[in-house]
Amino acid sequence: MINVLYLDDELHNLTAFRAAFRRDFHVHVTTEPTEAVRILREQPIEVIISDQKMPTLSGVEFFELIMPDFPDPIRMLLTGHADIDAVIDAINKGQIYKYIAKPWNESELKEMVNEASMLFHEHKAVSSRGEVLLHKMQEARAMAMRIQRITDQASNLNAEETSEINRNAIEINRLLTE
Amino acid sequence: MKESASVHPCVARCCRTASLLFFLISTFSVHAQKFIGTRLEYLPEGYNLELLEVETVATSDQWVAFDQLVPNLGMGEGVEWMRLTLDPMTENGKLIEIQNAGIDDLTCFMVCDGKIIASYPGGVMNAPSEGHQFGTYPSFPVPLVECNKLHALFRMHSNKPMIIPLRISGPRKVLEDAHQRDVLFALYAGVMLVMLLYNLFLFMSIGDRSYLEYVLFIFAIGGTQLVLNGYAPIFGVDGWPWLNLRLTHLFGVFSGITTIVFVQNFLRLSRYVPWLNKLLNGYFILYLLALGLALIGRLEWSYQLINFCAAAIFFFIPGTIITMRKGYSPAKYFLLAFTVFILAVVVFVLKDTGVIPYNAWTFYALPMGSAIEVVVLSLALASRINQLKRETVNAREEQLRVSQLNEQMVREQNTVLEERVAKRTAALENANSSMKGTLVDLQSAQQQLVQSEKLASIGQLTAGIAHELNNPINFVASSAQSLRRDFEDLNQVIDGFKALDPSDPGFLAAVAELKETFGKLDIDFTQKEIEELLHGIEDGTKRTSEIVKGLRIFSRMDGDNFTTAQINELLESTLIVLRSNLKDQAVVEVNMGEGLPLLSCQPGRLNQVFMNIITNAAQSMEATGLAIEERIVEISSSLAESIGQSWIEVRIKDRGIGMSEAVKSQIFDPFFTTKSVGEGTGLGLSIVMGILSDHNAEVEVETEEGIGTEFIIRFPL
Repeated sequence: MINVLYLDDELHNLTAFRAAFRRDFHVHVTTEPTEAVRILREQPIEVIISDQKMPTLSGVEFFELIMPDFPDPIRMLLTGHADIDAVIDAINKGQIYKYIAKPWNESELKEMVNEASMLFHEHKAVSSRGEVLLHKMQEARAMAMRIQRITDQASNLNAEETSEINRNAIEINRLLTE
Repeated sequence: MKESASVHPCVARCCRTASLLFFLISTFSVHAQKFIGTRLEYLPEGYNLELLEVETVATSDQWVAFDQLVPNLGMGEGVEWMRLTLDPMTENGKLIEIQNAGIDDLTCFMVCDGKIIASYPGGVMNAPSEGHQFGTYPSFPVPLVECNKLHALFRMHSNKPMIIPLRISGPRKVLEDAHQRDVLFALYAGVMLVMLLYNLFLFMSIGDRSYLEYVLFIFAIGGTQLVLNGYAPIFGVDGWPWLNLRLTHLFGVFSGITTIVFVQNFLRLSRYVPWLNKLLNGYFILYLLALGLALIGRLEWSYQLINFCAAAIFFFIPGTIITMRKGYSPAKYFLLAFTVFILAVVVFVLKDTGVIPYNAWTFYALPMGSAIEVVVLSLALASRINQLKRETVNAREEQLRVSQLNEQMVREQNTVLEERVAKRTAALENANSSMKGTLVDLQSAQQQLVQSEKLASIGQLTAGIAHELNNPINFVASSAQSLRRDFEDLNQVIDGFKALDPSDPGFLAAVAELKETFGKLDIDFTQKEIEELLHGIEDGTKRTSEIVKGLRIFSRMDGDNFTTAQINELLESTLIVLRSNLKDQAVVEVNMGEGLPLLSCQPGRLNQVFMNIITNAAQSMEATGLAIEERIVEISSSLAESIGQSWIEVRIKDRGIGMSEAVKSQIFDPFFTTKSVGEGTGLGLSIVMGILSDHNAEVEVETEEGIGTEFIIRFPL
């Protein structure tokens, strides 16, 4: 089940959201931004939904706040009425995935959360492939340094040694092409 | 040269007159005569001449002969005696004539052999009796008697010098000479009279004061000459012995004063020769002194003083030369006139002292000199008048030129001014019409702005209400859907329960299955959730209806009619509308007074007022850096009494940045705003002020920078 975090100062919205989606997602709700951060830390949250208009800080501000620590969860902004400034801020500062107007359409919202979750996992996969590549590049760099060291001593190498070096080079190429 | 043309006729006339005079004098040979002063005898000092009887004098043997042809016996109070020894044979029937008309008192006694046979009065004081005197000079007939010794005794007394030009002549000769003299003096008097009348006429026609002075001068000079030569009776003073005695003195003073006055003015001495002017003023005093002396009877002193003063004439020459040198051209005539007159005086005096012979020229030197003087002075006067006229004309021309110049300048300036006025008028009209256009534009702009401010507040209201309504609608709608699902779960359990049949052998298995479903569906949680959702729906419905109610109150905005309203209700509805806007801006603390009376007001417009002020209050705290819990807007209403008047008082207080005095004084001015461009019209508070003054409300603003602002609004009841 997808882990969804919903932040809103309106308690009834939280209740309604949980009631609507608890059968589909693993729903976490709170009225407090600090509590939201705690949940983020403890739960593998994939999608974050936040109300824009809140007393202590706005949704965009909240996203800005958590981004350095939790860059991966997909962010969606929920707002009462179209406020063009909030939308601009949401895209430029909060780097949000979707903008949802109240009152929400339940099925649409559900679809969006699913899409967001898929996106989250794609990102995850991409970034893990990237990690593998990074690892391989580190290995290659280490190998190259070894070759350098060997080349430094190459002045008095015999034919046998040269053939071993060639073998190593082929091995390196194979590794790099992978 | 026009001036000199007008002089010419006068010059010609004067010259003709003068030449006629000369001609006449030359033709009269009368004065080629002999005075016989050396035949006269006098009594030397030592006698009391006053008291002497005629007989005593006649028989005296103390007589001493004069050694001058024209003796001078001096003058004074004393009586002088003089004896003339006559030849009874040759000189009887002839006339003894003393050619001096100035002797005051003179009596001639004819003494025949020591016996007085006749006495004749003569001199100024004694009117000449018919037959005894021919002409103006005293003359006495030598009687036709036979005597051994015939003497003429003269008793004389005079306050003027007793100069005795005495001759013995035939009566016919004396008479002729007298006639000739009369003719000459008549001519002289005529000349003087002509000049006098002529100048008098000039004075009357021209009005120049110099002419009058000149007329008086002519009268004085001419009169003096006539009086000196025995023509005093023409002035009709015979019956006035007192005046008759002083006539010479009076004329002397008169001519002296008129001369000085004339000279001073004519030569403009006060301007050209001030020192001489002052000196001549001094002579006035001397002449007045002489006049006084004459009046109190000191005739001899007076005469001497007048003679002394007459020497002032010598100052005229240098004075005139100085004036002439200073460019005053009429002075040259003046110089000529006075030179002639002074020469005449010199000749006259020299004749009297015997330096030059006593003849017609010397005898008539004074009248001739004075006549010439008068004529030349007349020319001088004409020249002076011309000079004045020239100066006046020049001055007038200068004035005219200046005034023409002025006029031209004024005309030019006028033109310039008119042009300027026209330009200015056009510019003003232009400005006026453009201002009218601007005014129209401004008025329409103002209307638009007021309208847009109204629209802005409606927009704010709409946005606020939309947001306020969206939340409850959101969770009510969502809750309803969730409830349906929850009830489906419940129904599933209930259906299962309905399907149970205790008689069914699979009953226990069915119950177990149902229980499993119950647990799987987490019905306990569902029940709890249903509670929560229902609570949310109730709450949402309540809030929605509250909003709608507030909206209803607020929507009276368009109704500008006065109606009664509860001020607290208005404030609350405003707060509902503003709630969502305020949510992330400030905390509102409300302290509504209870039992406030209804207020007659325009509710819609008052909502606009409150909305504006509350929004400002919330916005003023944004920049303070206070936490949201500390950004408090306090709103209170109460009943207040002051100055015998009841008020409803609304206070809206914030803890914002406050205002400076300068800002505070301008907040109600249209278009004044502290917000950045595009954020505020600057009309909000000016509209507030307009609305409040329509309600006769008083507004007080208490503010301090860094502390906050409080609006106190008092509505009169």
